[in-house]
Amino acid sequence: MLEVVKPGLETSIQDYPGRIGHWAQGFPPSGPMDAWSFRLANLLVGNQPGAAGLECQFVGPSLKFQRDTVIAVSGADMKPTLDGQAIPIWESVAVKRGQTLALSFATVGARAYIAVAGGIDTEPSLGSRSTFHKAGVGGMDGHALKPGQVVPVGNGSGKAGRRVKPDVRPPIPTDKRWTVEVVAGPNDDWVDEAGRQRFLSTDWKLSSKSDRTGFRLEGPQWTFTGKAYNKAPEHGSEPSNIIDQGYPVGAINLAGQTPIILVNDGPSMGGFINPYTVPSAAFWKLGQSKPAELLRFKIVTVEEAQDLRRSIDELCSERSIV
Amino acid sequence: MTEEVLTQVPGNVWKVLVKPGDKVKPDDVLFILEVMKTEVPHVATQAGTVAAVHIGEGQEGVDAGTVAVTIGDHSP
Repeated sequence: MLEVVKPGLETSIQDYPGRIGHWAQGFPPSGPMDAWSFRLANLLVGNQPGAAGLECQFVGPSLKFQRDTVIAVSGADMKPTLDGQAIPIWESVAVKRGQTLALSFATVGARAYIAVAGGIDTEPSLGSRSTFHKAGVGGMDGHALKPGQVVPVGNGSGKAGRRVKPDVRPPIPTDKRWTVEVVAGPNDDWVDEAGRQRFLSTDWKLSSKSDRTGFRLEGPQWTFTGKAYNKAPEHGSEPSNIIDQGYPVGAINLAGQTPIILVNDGPSMGGFINPYTVPSAAFWKLGQSKPAELLRFKIVTVEEAQDLRRSIDELCSERSIV
Repeated sequence: MTEEVLTQVPGNVWKVLVKPGDKVKPDDVLFILEVMKTEVPHVATQAGTVAAVHIGEGQEGVDAGTVAVTIGDHSP
């Protein structure tokens, strides 16, 4: 059991791969945005890689432990301390009953993950413990952590002093620039050649109006093909309007002229086109990027995106731990 | 004693509520950052007079840990 002393900024319980299989009813997968860091934290404490842990965003929580256990912190560096003493990230650490783990603000990256041996043991909802606050499901009462809550933890037998090899950790850039993979479609044929070239040659600025629902981008105007103009009135009046359709997770959704990447807690359908889609293998980059950082998109094929996903999945294994 | 108020989140500066010369007391909101569509207010921890404001409304991409406001002693 651990008690929430300070909740941090929308700290939430997540598991991996999240709430899968309910997209048709409008439930997004949720889960950790940087599933790479998340899975490695679980492996450090001896859990299954997908066990429920905490996602901390920009400002971390303070948590008081009610029994001895082993924890690990990964992802963004939030300068964690245990009773005021600095502890390393990417390493499992023994915690005594009564000690307080405190995370500060993110210096490198944006999202940190806390794994506890045994995993967080809240009641699953539709097969997952992941928090989806818009529907109030998963996590503790369906929402982010609140002060005073006591979070149940399962039984585990972690070992302290296990570390993730440095070369298998996600490489968070220090120059505020990211290269993010995209696959074309489903609606790339609504954007004209000039618009497609502009999309791939622009440094898109990440808006501070970005969260686990959508990552909003600031950049140049879009231009369209005849499909966006010569269409039945049911599509809607804007060039980017289309008859309501299903959205892929990771869709770059063009709302008027503003692209919004629909991420872990995003909507399953709507009436805007999605010219490009960010594959799951690149989600960790979105999860670790901060407002005003610059995103440059790089086109990949579906097969290349799948290869990337497989290579990250392979790193999330016991072989990465020493 | 001077107090340097640091930004606690990376983000954009949504509002700056004080200017040099203003008197503040503990828990007065000095400025508000925006990240994840969330307002993050930053407060004074001691009484005093605002000596300098180092951030501006609308400023984007401020890092966490940046000195945002300097508060000087109450007495001139």
